[in-house]
Amino acid sequence: MSLYQHTAKELHEKLLKKECSAKEIAESVFARIDACEERVGAYVTLEREGAMAAAQAVDQKIAAGESIGPLAGIPVAVKDNICTKGVLTTCASRMLYNFRPPYDATVVEKLRGADYVMTGKANMDEFAMGSSCETSYFKKTANPHDLARVPGGSSGGSAAAVAAGEAVLALGSDTGGSIRQPASLCGVIGLKPTYGSVSRYGLVAFASSLDQIGPFGRCVEDVAALYGAICGRDKMDATTARRDYPDFSAFNGDVRGLRIGIPKEYFGPGVDPEVKELVHAALRELESAGAVLKELSLPGTDYALSAYYIISSAEASSNLARFDGVKYGYRAEEYDGLLDMYEKTRSQGFGDEVKRRIMLGTFVLSSGYYDAYYNKAKLFQKALRAEFVAAFEDCDLIATPTSPTVAFRLEENVDDPLKMYAADVCTIAVNIAGLPGLSVPCGVSEGLPVGMQLIGPRFSEQRLFDTAYAFQQLRGGSLCPMPELA
Amino acid sequence: MNIDIKHIAKLSRLSIEEDKMEKFQRDMENIVAMVEKLPAVENQTLAVDPADRMELRKDEIRPSLRREALLQNAPQSAAGCIVVPKTVE
Repeated sequence: MSLYQHTAKELHEKLLKKECSAKEIAESVFARIDACEERVGAYVTLEREGAMAAAQAVDQKIAAGESIGPLAGIPVAVKDNICTKGVLTTCASRMLYNFRPPYDATVVEKLRGADYVMTGKANMDEFAMGSSCETSYFKKTANPHDLARVPGGSSGGSAAAVAAGEAVLALGSDTGGSIRQPASLCGVIGLKPTYGSVSRYGLVAFASSLDQIGPFGRCVEDVAALYGAICGRDKMDATTARRDYPDFSAFNGDVRGLRIGIPKEYFGPGVDPEVKELVHAALRELESAGAVLKELSLPGTDYALSAYYIISSAEASSNLARFDGVKYGYRAEEYDGLLDMYEKTRSQGFGDEVKRRIMLGTFVLSSGYYDAYYNKAKLFQKALRAEFVAAFEDCDLIATPTSPTVAFRLEENVDDPLKMYAADVCTIAVNIAGLPGLSVPCGVSEGLPVGMQLIGPRFSEQRLFDTAYAFQQLRGGSLCPMPELA
Repeated sequence: MNIDIKHIAKLSRLSIEEDKMEKFQRDMENIVAMVEKLPAVENQTLAVDPADRMELRKDEIRPSLRREALLQNAPQSAAGCIVVPKTVE
C-alpha cells in the first residue's frame, strides 16, 4: 500500500512512529498526481514546491522532538474560491484568472498553523455556480470512478482529488450542496457545517447567508479532524457563532436508541429507485444496530429549490457587482469610457451560468418584484427552519439520499439549467435552514458511488460524526474504496 | 412571464450576444416559472431574532495590507493609484 492511499489518521500515526517522513507522504501524493491528473483534472493550480517545503518543515519539527498535531504533514487540496496568500485564486473564472490574494482566508491561516501541506487549488464550477464542475473556465474534471462522468459540483475538484488519492483531505464550500453532492458522486465523505461554525473570511462570496466552507476525507475521523481545525469564532466574520467546540477526536459508535427520521419527500419519484434502495438498506443496518427509524414529513422541501434560486441569486448579483475590472482580475482590452469598461469586462470575464444567476438576482431584486420574490423567499426560509426544528423534536437526526442519481455523464445536463439545478434537490433545504449535513458513501449502483445524507440540528456535528462512525464500523471500518485509475 | 432580458442585462452591467439571446430568454423564463411555485407564508415577519444576532467587532485601528500588495492585482496602476477611464467629463 502506497502512502497516498492512507487516511490522515493512519499517516499521523506513521509520522509519530517515524515509519515515514512528511516529505515521503508529499512525494507519494505528487507521484499519484503525476500518474492521474491528466485524466482526472482535479486541480487548477498545483503547489508542488510549496508542498515540499511545508513537508520538510514538518520533518524538521519531528526531528527536533517537537510535538505535531493530527494534520501536520497531511496533503490537503483547497478549493479555488478560498484565498491563499500569493497563490492563484481564480474561482475557475476568467474574471480572476490572474488574482493572487494578498492575504490568507481564516481557514487557510488555521491550517497553516496546524502544519498542513497544501497540494494545490482545486477545480470548481465558476464562482461555485453549478453541480458538475463543467462551468469552470479552465478545464473539466472527471469522476475518478468513471472518467466519462462528472465529479459533481461545485467542489468537484476537491472531491475528485480526495477520491483519486491526489490529496488526502480537501476543503470545499457548500451553498446549495456543493460539498455533499460531489462527495456523494465521488464516493468520499463531505461535511457542510452548520452556518456560522466556520469563518467565511477569505472565501470569495457567492451567497453570503448560505455559503459555508467544509471538509472532504476518506474516513469519518479525518473529516472530523479537519472540521475541528477550521471551526470557531472569527472576529473577521461577524456571522460566526460564539461558542466552544469539542475537538472532534472521540466517537461514540453506539447508535442504540438513536432516533433517525426518514422524510418521505426525499424518497419521491425524482429519486432513482436504486439510490433509494441503497439508502434504505444502510438505514436498516443502523436499525439492526439499535437505531430507531421514524417516518416523517418535511413538506417545505418541495419548495426549497425555488427559495434557493431566489435568495442565492439575489445575493450573488450583489456580491459579484465588485467584479468590474478596476481593482483586480480581468479587464477588457478595448472599451470606450468607464461604463463600457464595466460592461465589456463583465461580459467577457463571466461565463453564461454566472451571467444567468446575476440576471436572475437582479430581476428578483428589481423594483416591483422585490416583495413577490425576495421577501417571499426569506419568509419561506423562516418557515422551513421552523419545520426542521419541529421535526427534530421527534428524532435526533434525519437521513436522506444526498443526490437523486449517481454521477451523470459529462455534457448530459449542460444545456438545461433546470435539469442541472435538480441535482441539488436533496441538499438545498439544509443550506436554507442553516443546518449541518454530512454525506457518507452507502453503496454502489452500476459501479458508481451512492451517498447518504445525515442532517442534524444546528451545531450537532458531533452527533453526525458519531452516527457516520457507527456506520463505518458496520461496514468493516472503510466506506471509501479508492479506484485504481491504472 | 415575459422578461425583458436586454433591460435586466443592462441593469446587471452585462451584454448578451445576439445569438445567445433566445436561449437566455427561454432559460430565464423557465427558471422564473420554477421559482414562482413558492407558496406565500402567512403571519410571519422578517424581524431579527435577538437570540441569533450578529455581533460586530470594535471599530479600531489595526495594521492593514500594504498599498503595493493591493496594487499588485490591479489591471492598471500608476504612481501608487489605480488607473481608470475618465469618469467626469
